[in-house]
Amino acid sequence: MKAAAVEKASITEADFEKFREFFYRKTGIQFDNSKRYFVDKRLIERIEATGSDSFRSYFVKLRFETDGSEMQALVNCMTVNETYFFRESYQFDCLVNSMLDDIVKKRKPGSRLRIWSIPSSTGEEPYSIAIYLLERWPEIDLHEVEIMSSDIDTSVLQAAQRGVYSARSIANLPKPYLAKYFKQNAQGDWVITRDIVDAVEFSRVNLSDPNDTRRFRDIDVIFCRNLLIYFDDISRRIAAEAMFDALRPGGFVCLGHSESMSRISSLFDVRRFPDAMVYEKPMEAKR
Amino acid sequence: MGLRKATEPLGLRRIEPREYPRDTEGLIEQLQDRDPSVRRWAARDMAIHPDAVTPLCQHLLVEEDASVREVIFTTLGCLGGEDVVEGLIPLLRSEDANLRNSTIEVLAELPETVAPHIETLLHDGDPDVRIFTLNLLNDLRHPDVGRWLSLVLKDDAHVNVVAAALEVLAEVGTPTALSALKLARQRFADDPFIGFAADLAQQRIEGA
Repeated sequence: MKAAAVEKASITEADFEKFREFFYRKTGIQFDNSKRYFVDKRLIERIEATGSDSFRSYFVKLRFETDGSEMQALVNCMTVNETYFFRESYQFDCLVNSMLDDIVKKRKPGSRLRIWSIPSSTGEEPYSIAIYLLERWPEIDLHEVEIMSSDIDTSVLQAAQRGVYSARSIANLPKPYLAKYFKQNAQGDWVITRDIVDAVEFSRVNLSDPNDTRRFRDIDVIFCRNLLIYFDDISRRIAAEAMFDALRPGGFVCLGHSESMSRISSLFDVRRFPDAMVYEKPMEAKR
Repeated sequence: MGLRKATEPLGLRRIEPREYPRDTEGLIEQLQDRDPSVRRWAARDMAIHPDAVTPLCQHLLVEEDASVREVIFTTLGCLGGEDVVEGLIPLLRSEDANLRNSTIEVLAELPETVAPHIETLLHDGDPDVRIFTLNLLNDLRHPDVGRWLSLVLKDDAHVNVVAAALEVLAEVGTPTALSALKLARQRFADDPFIGFAADLAQQRIEGA
């Protein structure tokens, strides 16, 4: 029975085109032809999981199902949830090469800068930011920088504060940084130095709950990468609006490479820097 | 200088005496505050106040700050329900494109509640309202979308409305719509754009 279902659920070129266009419009994620096998495989998985007998019937379900649950299941299936040090590091380059300098120009000398990394997951992102600042921002000694990091999951927050990482997590780190900020333990895992752990303020936050986010304000840069893609449309907008209120005017939001703020909210302006495109809270209110 | 942990919660909002109570009436009053961030927070906090729907919809007509309007729309989407749909439908007639587009976005998120209104909207005397309703159908997750599109293709007399329906059909159409599509082509046989849009929709339907 299962083999028959797989046979029926083959994906034609026209199916792929139709799906690709729809998925891009809904999520901003674009699949080129080189991803055809990846997309087909996951589509067939979902066709089988929903008991659909063809791409056509599955697409109708996906398109018209009122609660959107299958769309979310498909998004989860099509996106890869992994985290490691220096992931998508072009945005960290942008932070130290452009964003912070831009912010410092707008601020009084000696003002404390605030960076918020959400979701913290197991700490790879906020600690990457800390290492980047110490190693690659020439002005670090002239300013006070506060790094905050939040996640909805308290177990990952605890893991972040333990700061123990597998070889896979640290594979992208330059060797000199690994030697400087980590020690290998008896199990072969890598333990980050307490100085870095202590530099980050962790907290439990649900980004789509205003009661959690109203405490955050005067933030200069928010890293919110590969999180909103897992939210439904309303929660995504609530999260974007929470970030808007948490930022200072002229502050920046960095999203994941497949995410687009323009598809979520018109509150922010696009700002193109040499290393990355980010979203800026306007200095003046929009009419 | 360098990295500093927040030993005191400098990044957190200090608790300050509240100028307004945070019940529905207090929040409605805050919608008139001069500070847009106060208005945004009032609108956001109304997401648990279903009796705030009417004042929120009314405030959309006078609110000048785009960020406040956006939060109001999000709150209305969270609240949902018949009052929200009835409060937003009149905004489809607004001259303000941003207001209209945000209205369409929120209505599209309330498929079960908006569905009973669709046929009335598709028979509205104003062709622009019918076109905006078709824009709504493009994002509406509802099993009757195909049937509503077929109704327009068979009956609507306005070429731009039929063209808008064909555009939506190209993405969401199924073979059940082919007879209505054929009829639309015949009704507007002299219009080259309808011929082009009908061909495209047919190709997309038959290719799927």
